[in-house]
Amino acid sequence: MTGVLRELATLFGAWGAEDARTAETITTTPADLAEDDAFNRLALRIHAVQRMSNPMLRRFWDGASGAEPASWREIPPIPVMAFRDVPIVCGTPEAVFRTSGTSGGRGGRGEHHVPSLDLYRAAARGNYRRHLLRGVRRIRMVSLIPDPVVVTDSSLARMAGFIADEPEVAETVWAFDPVTGVDVDSVRDAARGTDPVLLLTTAFSLVHLLDALGSGRLPLPPGSRIMETGGFKGRVAEVDRGALQARVDRTLAVGTSCIVNEYGMTELLSQAYDGVAGGGPADAGATGTDENGAHGGEPRPGSPVPRCHRFPPWVRTRALDPATLSPLPPGQPGLLCHFDLANAGSVCHILTEDLGCTTGDGAIELAGRAPGASLRGCSLMAESFLRLAGR
Amino acid sequence: MSGGTAIDAWVWPPGLPVPGAVEAGTAGGINVRYPKSDHHLARLLISSLSRSRIRLGGMRASDLASTLGVVGDRFAAALDDRVVAEVAGNAGLSPTMARVVVRGMADTWTTESLHRLLRSEFPDPAVLDRFVDGAGREIRAAAPGVTMHIGAGSVPGVTVTSIIRALLVKSPVLAKPGAGDIALTTRFARELQRADDRLRGVVAVQYWPGGDPGWEAWEREVLARADQVVVYGGDDTIESIRARAPAATRLIEHPNRLGVAIVDPGAAPGADHRAARAVALFDQKGCVSTHLILFLGNHGDAARWCGRLAAALEALASTLPPAAASEGELSARHQLRGRLALQRAASGDIRFWAGNAGAWTVALAPPELFEPVGGRTAWVVPVPDLAACEQVLAPLARVLQTVGVTGLGARRHAFAEALVAMGATRVVPLDRAPFPDSDWLHDGSRPLGELVRWAELR
Repeated sequence: MTGVLRELATLFGAWGAEDARTAETITTTPADLAEDDAFNRLALRIHAVQRMSNPMLRRFWDGASGAEPASWREIPPIPVMAFRDVPIVCGTPEAVFRTSGTSGGRGGRGEHHVPSLDLYRAAARGNYRRHLLRGVRRIRMVSLIPDPVVVTDSSLARMAGFIADEPEVAETVWAFDPVTGVDVDSVRDAARGTDPVLLLTTAFSLVHLLDALGSGRLPLPPGSRIMETGGFKGRVAEVDRGALQARVDRTLAVGTSCIVNEYGMTELLSQAYDGVAGGGPADAGATGTDENGAHGGEPRPGSPVPRCHRFPPWVRTRALDPATLSPLPPGQPGLLCHFDLANAGSVCHILTEDLGCTTGDGAIELAGRAPGASLRGCSLMAESFLRLAGR
Repeated sequence: MSGGTAIDAWVWPPGLPVPGAVEAGTAGGINVRYPKSDHHLARLLISSLSRSRIRLGGMRASDLASTLGVVGDRFAAALDDRVVAEVAGNAGLSPTMARVVVRGMADTWTTESLHRLLRSEFPDPAVLDRFVDGAGREIRAAAPGVTMHIGAGSVPGVTVTSIIRALLVKSPVLAKPGAGDIALTTRFARELQRADDRLRGVVAVQYWPGGDPGWEAWEREVLARADQVVVYGGDDTIESIRARAPAATRLIEHPNRLGVAIVDPGAAPGADHRAARAVALFDQKGCVSTHLILFLGNHGDAARWCGRLAAALEALASTLPPAAASEGELSARHQLRGRLALQRAASGDIRFWAGNAGAWTVALAPPELFEPVGGRTAWVVPVPDLAACEQVLAPLARVLQTVGVTGLGARRHAFAEALVAMGATRVVPLDRAPFPDSDWLHDGSRPLGELVRWAELR
């Protein structure tokens, strides 16, 4: 397994330099992965390795479907909630990331055991560079996401740490403490400088920052940009994105075109973004592919709408019928199911609880968490029960 | 927005101003309209109910039970397909299920049931009318002022039961039905107004979307002016009411509860069918619904019994069909099955059976995996004896309510003692678990006794 992880890290790290074959044993480039054949070959190879190295997954797949898969689509997905129950890992974990335990109001915390942080960095890096650091020479980073040194089990914090290591980032201010919350003074200090600011934040912390600033203005230097994550319908901090962006523009002087939403989850090592921050040139590289590998190229920088999210080419997303789990055509909303090759060290195919649709050009439109029962009765349900049971 | 004409989600006492403006929305699967929030109107509403207390006070308790019973009898007899369809649409139940549920609930609203309730609570019901002798003193069960009912649940009939209980102790009622209990409640309130002039002004029904900031002023007004509030619902609802009700307003809380079953199938043939019905009724949304079944026997026997339970649930999927599931409910079922399959792959002592399109699930699993996920999911845990039952149920003690038992024979009392010590408030034969009698000790309280104010004269 270690060899495969290393190969994948090299492959993903080469995203942006696709003209070079990147590894001796992988005769694929990142651009090839946009094609379904290449993706499928690599997916099945990883699947075979996962079957060999994790007997639990092998039994799960054998129980769900006895046949040898001919396509990644035939590999039964693991429900995302299963990360709460048992360790799912192929190899020895180098890090364990934990979910917040509050998303969807449920108790318990999911755990993603990650055997290779190099692979995580490689999977995240190409995409955040394309969407957050385009055209940047020097930038100051202000993170309302916790410092990974302080919060060691957050995949988001770890990614913020990766970004802080980028050569363009001259300085990083960690302006969020898990106990005391947002450090508004640090944000004020950053605003006084001349370097543009990259503000990394959850939607929840961004709202806190804006609330703390009240009616005052704190214009960030020109060229500043914001990556916000979360806040989708049904999530713990549900926000009206349009209203939030208007407040950001008014208070921080960062326009909608420079606010990028990141869609990620602890259980996936790759992320999707809904735009390119700043006004740099359009990227010709491929990002985001639907289940057939179709892609529409990079979203145009600065374009406010549509805000579809795009994964890197080593991820396939399908929307599945909520009743039957049959694949749905583009435009039809269903439960999102991702196949992320970067998850080679755990499990690639994951059925989420998120609703959305594919666009046919490689992007996904998110509709938030699938709503629970519209009517509840007077029976105690899992959410309260788990709280009571301390799970 | 659901299709169909909007129903009026309010019934006010006669004589109040006609609401100037109404707002529309959906509640459950139906469209509803109701007067807009106006806290001046709220004040008038409570005042009107307060005045009607004199009329109620003038009726003898036993006459009141008879009058309400006649309304209950008439109401049950008038439950035709159209009404049932409306209730089903509102409650999110299949029409077949709605009919069974409403009939089961209506059995406790009959003349006979209400007199039984009255007598079980007050051996001399005249104590509700005047002072009566009571061991060296005279005692009186005084009627409270206005009782406010807040229903957060969607089981049809819960609000009607609560209204009847308040009226039996001569307290006028302002009822806010749960979103899924509007159709039945408003119909009953209108029937009540038609039935007897003395009852015309004693009940008001008003639905509003709970937690909506636009209704904050209204809620504060009625919480301050009601004498007592009976609140049903989850932790959030109850905590929210606790935080806003003035200290002088008495709160009577009925939080969400959990039902379990203890089954010794060797001594109870047909236990699989009874258990399936206890799981399926109310689509597992009732506080009495069974989620966890403790099977007295070994793992192998339990596995065979689970197969029979699965077959019984499959049969009920046709005869007592579940409601159409929301996307979130369907998602939760896929997640559950996937999790069970992975846990089975991780450790061999888990088995599960699942119906088509997630209509039901039976999980034979260790107790630490149990979660009340709903959707007709029966968790079966094999246990050797009573001590093992206690061990499994210990973490549930604070939320335990109904325990349906079957096959216990002479062990019934020993089990009941242990279960009650643990927190259970209702131990009944499994086939009677879904529908409590009118005089059941609801969540460990006397259903009428908890509403009155006792007074003594020496």
